[in-house]
Amino acid sequence: MLRGILSLLIFPGLAFQVLCGLIFEWIDRKLLARFQRRVGPPWYQPAADLVKLFSKEDLMPEGVYDLVEVLLPLISLSAVLTAGLYIPIAGFTSFSFEGDLIVIQFLMSVPTLAYYLAGIASVGIYSFLGGGRSILQYFSYEVPLLIAISGPAVMAGSWSVAQISQAQLGMGPFVIFQPLGFILAVVGLIGKLKRDPLDIPSASTEVVGGSLTEFSGAKLGFWQLTMNVQAVVGIFLLVNLYLGWLNFTAPLVVVGIFLLECLLMVLVLSGASAIFARLRIDQLAGLGWKILVPLSLLQLGFVILMGV
Amino acid sequence: MNKISIPIGPHHPLLKEPLSMRIDISGERVLGGTLRLGYVHRGIEKMAQQRTYIQDVHLIERICGICSHVHTSTFCLAVEKLLEIEVPPRGQYIRALLCELERVHSHLLWLGILAKHVGLDTVFMHTWHDRELALDIMEGISGGRVSHAANQIGGMRFDLSPEQEELVRLNVEKLKSQVNGVLDVIENEPALRARTQGVAPVSADMIRAYCVVGPVARASGVDVDMRRDDPWPPYDQLDVRVITRPEGDAFARTLIRVLETRESLRLCEVLLENMPDGPVAVRSPRKVPAGEVVTRSEAPRGEVLYYLRSDGSDKPARVKVRTPTLAVLSLLPEQLSAIHVADIPVVLAGIDLCIACADR
Repeated sequence: MLRGILSLLIFPGLAFQVLCGLIFEWIDRKLLARFQRRVGPPWYQPAADLVKLFSKEDLMPEGVYDLVEVLLPLISLSAVLTAGLYIPIAGFTSFSFEGDLIVIQFLMSVPTLAYYLAGIASVGIYSFLGGGRSILQYFSYEVPLLIAISGPAVMAGSWSVAQISQAQLGMGPFVIFQPLGFILAVVGLIGKLKRDPLDIPSASTEVVGGSLTEFSGAKLGFWQLTMNVQAVVGIFLLVNLYLGWLNFTAPLVVVGIFLLECLLMVLVLSGASAIFARLRIDQLAGLGWKILVPLSLLQLGFVILMGV
Repeated sequence: MNKISIPIGPHHPLLKEPLSMRIDISGERVLGGTLRLGYVHRGIEKMAQQRTYIQDVHLIERICGICSHVHTSTFCLAVEKLLEIEVPPRGQYIRALLCELERVHSHLLWLGILAKHVGLDTVFMHTWHDRELALDIMEGISGGRVSHAANQIGGMRFDLSPEQEELVRLNVEKLKSQVNGVLDVIENEPALRARTQGVAPVSADMIRAYCVVGPVARASGVDVDMRRDDPWPPYDQLDVRVITRPEGDAFARTLIRVLETRESLRLCEVLLENMPDGPVAVRSPRKVPAGEVVTRSEAPRGEVLYYLRSDGSDKPARVKVRTPTLAVLSLLPEQLSAIHVADIPVVLAGIDLCIACADR
């Protein structure tokens, strides 16, 4: 009982994931700044931003559904935190069952749907546009992402993330067998996190703040936290699925390699933000359905053939 | 899908200066838009009539924050024409040098803003980093980064010392090599091309019908450039290469600015190389003989025209300024049809707005 509560609140639950989220955000911002010849923020900046957001006055525009606007960020945050519980961290598994990969995928999609609802529940015109865009984007990246991450599952013969990462101990990291699938999964993750270059739903020069234009104070803070934790869970998931750690007996080495792989993922995400321009929504839909989906099917077919 | 109308401005992350547009959209398609101007109207033309010519030079510098020097140059030129005095060659060269540096910094600023609008923040940061050097050069010449207070009626207010000249020469060389890298990226970046190519093309006929000037006109194949067509000295001694592109879309406008930045840097070098010796200004009388005159210059955004009428006193009877932005703005509603919502920033960036110039 106590152990259950501890794992929910401390590790690998709330505290650990929020901490990782803040650290990853700082590394990401610092890297991006260095790519752009800027200095970048000090290490405590993401935490300071959150503290500031939570201490700000919470304004609610007239005419919105109050309860919905309050619940949406909370539901999204709890969904991504729950998803994080099922992902092994450096080999340490707290909760796991056969099929949790599908549950994680579902829980990771909750923020996107909540973001869409936040857009239409809001009264602002920019929120409405951002919400519509987020659902269009969802249909473009989600299908190739799902097909891509079923590759490791098929290869390991299991739909549990813990099992998949265990399987790589014997077979070697799956990124070697499925480089294409890994790239597609990274593209899908960027779309899921609404990061530059796929920040179409929240592009400031087009739709101001997207769905979150009318949010302020603690509610916006919870959204920010959701995005941070979502990034952590997404990175942990991809590291487990594709970059299974090597066979080492010393636990410190395993933790070190796991961290290194996570940092590598942050570097990849920051690099993508730095070098690509934002796509138009029609360009993204074309990319998703004409290029990414066929490629992911190709990768999956290749994996299945290898298994036979 | 229902038609909805979104407001862009007077406050919007897209705009750096106040301008108001209502854009009708259906889903992600833009159907059309209307425009409202006048948020930064300061009545400068009327104020100019109440001040003396000498005070007006400083007033007119405040019309624009980016191309302030070309405004005062054109105004001084008009007064000098009425007074029938000629600026000594060295004064002319320094005046033109500042004009060209201003074009470099304005175009770099614009390229950065375009990159920012399509979500390419890295290019934005790098172009603005290089632009900083252009501002430093101008600061080395005049002491001001954007407002130079360099012109006076009859020439320049200060001379360049040999050390200053050498420093400017070195820095222009440095800027040239530094800026080439980022200009190459802008020219060849596939992501930038994907967002700008074929967006809101404007035909040459449309350009002529709306009297559009400057880089926007040249991007549609209309060959106009006041530095060649109606040159004031020393532009008549320079061989200005006018760059045109036939396509007329947002990508052509980007290319025009990239190539013009290179051309302006070349002109800077030519000006520094052939810088004559001698005085930089002649004395001018306070009162200007009656008459009227029109002068034109090529500002970074296109032709800027000054009409000046004098009644023989020390204050102008009428100053009329025509800035390039107003003409380009009139073309905006035409361009805002059959594009995507995501193209609005590209179209707006493409015309290089200077609302302060347009409203005065």
